[in-house]
Amino acid sequence: MSLHDLVLSPFSYEFMRRGLLSAVLLGTSGGLIGCVLVLRRMALMGDALSHSLLPGVAAAWFFFGTSTTALFFGGLAAGLLTALGSALLSRLTRVKEDAAFGSLFIVFFGAGVALVSKLPTRINLTDFLFGNVLGVSAGELRLAAAVCFVTVAVFVIFYRSVLLETFDPVFNRATGGRGGLVHLGFLTLTVLNLVAAMQTMGIVLALGLFLLPAVSAYLWCDRFITMLLLSVAFAVADSVVGILVSFHAGLASGAAIVLCLGAVFVFSALFSPRHGAIGAVRIGAARRPPA
Amino acid sequence: MTPDQNIISFSGVTVRYGKLTALQDISLEIPCGSSTAILGGNGAGKSTLLRAVMGWQRLSGGEIRIGDAHPQHARPRLSYVPQRHSVDWDFPITVRGVVEQGRYPSLGFLRGLSRADHARVDAAMEELGISQLGGRQIRMLSGGQQQRVFLARAVAQGGDIFLLDEPFAGLDLFGCEELTHILRGWADQGRTVLAAVHDLAIARSCFSRGVLLNTGLVAEGPVGEVLSAANVDLAYRGGRCVHTGMPKAAGIDGVLP
Repeated sequence: MSLHDLVLSPFSYEFMRRGLLSAVLLGTSGGLIGCVLVLRRMALMGDALSHSLLPGVAAAWFFFGTSTTALFFGGLAAGLLTALGSALLSRLTRVKEDAAFGSLFIVFFGAGVALVSKLPTRINLTDFLFGNVLGVSAGELRLAAAVCFVTVAVFVIFYRSVLLETFDPVFNRATGGRGGLVHLGFLTLTVLNLVAAMQTMGIVLALGLFLLPAVSAYLWCDRFITMLLLSVAFAVADSVVGILVSFHAGLASGAAIVLCLGAVFVFSALFSPRHGAIGAVRIGAARRPPA
Repeated sequence: MTPDQNIISFSGVTVRYGKLTALQDISLEIPCGSSTAILGGNGAGKSTLLRAVMGWQRLSGGEIRIGDAHPQHARPRLSYVPQRHSVDWDFPITVRGVVEQGRYPSLGFLRGLSRADHARVDAAMEELGISQLGGRQIRMLSGGQQQRVFLARAVAQGGDIFLLDEPFAGLDLFGCEELTHILRGWADQGRTVLAAVHDLAIARSCFSRGVLLNTGLVAEGPVGEVLSAANVDLAYRGGRCVHTGMPKAAGIDGVLP
């Protein structure tokens, strides 16, 4: 098989081009979002957030059918409700934020599954969970482009606020930064990206597209800006490779992308010279000097 | 500004969280260029007092003035040093990157650091003796060096009032000596230092003045007078067990005169 057959000819198909473009767009914004999720230790919260989108999407489907706009706003509403609800719960009761998130999302997810089981149409739970990169519609592609644009713009314009709020929220507040606003804005941005990635990647795998490149980059970088750029590079590159693998091997596309990202992650965790496992063992001492 | 001018004044400051009173009717003056330790047991109101000076604690009563201004309008004068363990030292950022954050508040959204900003960052790093460490990731530092990075960031902010939250927490003996030396130097330069401190021995050796809290104000003034046996007993044991042979906390006994 020539290089042309291997790499270029698959993209003579319209659905392949759409799938690729959509994955690249979402990888770009997801790679950015993922860095903040990883550094703020919100990785599992992102997971909870993604599951909580289901009832909103199902309800939108129930009332408005398959319109991308309706699904988008349905998912957005459910996600924001979970995020705001758990923020309120943790402020007003003694329940901590992780428990609040964990409890709310599972209620939302349950409600979603119940709704889906009552739907007259044959909306498939696995479509929602695992998506289908190769079935991306023009509307979904536009949505992905819009979300990607907004995310990149926010990171460029508010770079310093994002950095400061992620690194040292107390100092940010002390210098007059609007920490709460940044946090809320970030949660909204995360929900936007999850909703946009829903059809393409499915919510479970979408989170992989966000988190995996970010953790991999985290293992190589000692600067925030490099971590952001490397994370995006990983996400975009693995999207392309993953889609090609899925085409040639006949694998589910989202899974193929996540597996490629996973390979990079495992490689980084093992072989990163300064922050990887083998490096740490070879030095023979604890990885870090005593604090 | 003459040294005996007051720079921060509290009049009747009261803070309540719901039914809980954190600070009760605090009135005192902080002289310009002094170094003051805020002392007291857990829950005595040390952090609340610092937050109030920063202007992010709503007062239930009373007033704080910094110079002639409300704390929120005096922000450029205030440089803040959070607790060292409040950040993740694995964060992908270099020493210089952290010190540069001191200039962020004075920058717009898209404007980068100007030459003057970089000069201030250089000067702050020079002053704290961390110029050589600029390119290092912050985990690769000793505890004392990490503290100096935070101090350099505060210096780069350019304020003349320094608020430190438990700066000695977690430092080893050498780190404490180093920090004492730095803070004394600041006071000599006319900078005003206000720090929450829980170690009374350090408070004696490092600060010229003390503010002893137990929700209310127990004592304030020169640190030696503030930390008299009677005051310490009042603040830490509520005056309950003077000379009764009750078990006493070792850290306190060690510094009683």
